[in-house]
Parts: sequence; C-alpha cells; structure tokens
Amino acid sequence: MLCSYRAMVRLFFIILVTCAGWSATPPRASRQSGSRKETATPATREAGLAAWQQVYSVLTHPRCINCHTATNYPQQGDDRHRHLFNVVRGPEGKGVPGLNCATCHQGANADSTGVPGAHNWHLAPLSMKWQDLNDKILSSAEICRSLTDRSKNHNLDGLGLLKHHEEEPLVLWAFQPGHSRDGTARSLLPLTHDEFVAATRAWVEAGTPCPQNP
Amino acid sequence: MENYKLTVNGQRKEVTVDPGTPLLWVLREDLKMTGTKYGCGIAACGACTVHVAGVATRSCVVPVSLIGDRPIVTIEGIGQDPVGRVVQDAWVSEDVVQCGYCQSGQIMSVVALLKRTPKPTDTNIEQSMGGNICRCGTYVRIREAIKAASQQLK
Repeated sequence: MLCSYRAMVRLFFIILVTCAGWSATPPRASRQSGSRKETATPATREAGLAAWQQVYSVLTHPRCINCHTATNYPQQGDDRHRHLFNVVRGPEGKGVPGLNCATCHQGANADSTGVPGAHNWHLAPLSMKWQDLNDKILSSAEICRSLTDRSKNHNLDGLGLLKHHEEEPLVLWAFQPGHSRDGTARSLLPLTHDEFVAATRAWVEAGTPCPQNP
Repeated sequence: MENYKLTVNGQRKEVTVDPGTPLLWVLREDLKMTGTKYGCGIAACGACTVHVAGVATRSCVVPVSLIGDRPIVTIEGIGQDPVGRVVQDAWVSEDVVQCGYCQSGQIMSVVALLKRTPKPTDTNIEQSMGGNICRCGTYVRIREAIKAASQQLK
C-alpha cells in the first residue's frame, strides 16, 4: 500500500517536472506563430516584447516609414516631407505610367546622382501603413497588430515576416541607403541588419507578442 | 572609365565613359543625340525623359552603369513606335509647342501614359504628366493633344 502511494507521488512529480519543462522551453520559430501566443510564458512574452520594441524602432525610422505611408504619395528625407515632383502612389504602389517609381529609382543606389535604388522600388500597401493621415507615427501596439494580421500582411506568418526582414531588397536597402545628391550620407537605422534580424527572430520565437493598448 | 554597350532606338552603340555618367550626357555628348534635353538635372522637370525598357525614365539621374542591357528609346526614335507616331502627329495638329524645350520629355511621358492607359481620364493625365514642367505654360494644349491622340488609339 505504502509502495503504491510512493509510486503515485513519484509519477505525479515526473508529470509535473515534464510539464514545467515544456512550458519553460521557448517555442521554435518553425512552429506557427498563431498558436504560440496563448502558450508563451510571461517570461517569453516579456523577452518577445522587448525584441519587438527593437523591431519597432527600425520600422518607424524614416528609411522605412517614408514608404509605409497612409497617404497617396511617398515621403522623403528625415523630415518625411512629401515626395517631390508630384509623385503619387498609383494603383500598384509603383506610381503611374510616365511617372513610376522606376522613372528615377533603379536597381541600386545611384551614387553619382544621389537617387536611392533597389530592386522593385515601390510603396508598401496601405494595409501596411505605419502612420495616420496626419503624419503621426502609429503606436507600437497598432503597428504590431497590423504587422501580425495576416489579412493585412500578404498572409505572412511569423516565419514569413522573418524572411521578409532578412531578404526583401527594399528592407536591405534601408540598411545601406547611400547618400544624397550633395554627398551627405542618409541617416542610418538604429540597428544593423544582423541586429534587426536577430530581434525579429526573437520576437517571432516568442510568438509575435504585441503590446497592450495603446 | 568603362565600356558600355547600349541599345538606343534599336541600334547598338558603344561608349567608354565614367560609370557614374548620367545617361543624359551619354546620349547628348557621346552619342550626339541632342533631342533629349537637360532641364534641371535632378529629375524635377522631365525634360530629359527617355524610355528604358518601356519605362519613362529621367535620364539626368540614372547613371549609365545601371542601364544594363535594357533597350533605350529617345525622342529621335519614338516616331518609329505606333503610339509615338500618333502622339507626334497630335502634337503637330494641336500646335502644342511654344519654345519647345520641354516637349521631347513631354512626348516621351505621354507615350508611356498612352501605352498603358489608351483612354486616360483628366486625373490620369494630371498624375502622369504632373512631373513634366513647361515654363511656356502649354499645359492646356498638351491635354488637348493627349485626348486627340487617345482618340486615334484603340
């Protein structure tokens, strides 16, 4: 009887330790992010949110947000002024015939003339706007919600977002933005690309947690 | 200096220039094709517009090193294009030109517009042509010529 009781207690502890081990193990990025949100431990969520804030600091830099506008036109410069020359968004975010993004922006930075360039230069879709119509940058929570909403982000899961940040030519451009016509180097993002990818990976592995409102 | 092989108006051309040289100056200085004009040098006025792989392109800000093997069409060659021919005819019939300095760029932009949007609305015209400046103020006649050309296109 006593032996049977001890065996049950031992079994209970084994199950308890196993469960604790599972819950303390960080979720892998190879799993779907949607189901991880509910299973992330508070510690994991906290680390994920810290990583997200690093990602947010990059996304809201002019090098990124100038093409994630809420308006019918792109923006330019660190003061995020309206793009010169009456450039408009156009139906595909690439301008309009006769005045496309590619009218000036080529596949690489034009060092001799100061025009920035990268493959397939275009605006982000309006569903990925990171500012409001008054030019105010959206909050960390708002951008995080948009970014993780697969109805808005071209159906990207966490891994898809990570790949976007790792490989998209326009993202890569933002880390090597070249210089202006007068030779002044464009201001750089607050993180290196490696740091940005690492932060994105940590956020994705934590289940892409988003801050609470606001 | 680097050697570049370009296709301009269907013809192979070879130039040896600094890689950073804007296409505009390769056309004007090296190839002696002076129909494409220098206006502002910062892509703001549209006078230097040519087509690169069919895309209206501001040649004053595009270094020749970034052209690659994409074909170039200039105002000297646009009349070989059916839409280009229609536009040039409309320009004559509507007597668009005043001083004429900006007009090669205007025509190149219009051809790019009409190839993609054969029946443009006023908004289409304003958005596509909003980056081409004419100091003589021929905008009204430009609009009329675009509409006249549009009527000739299917």
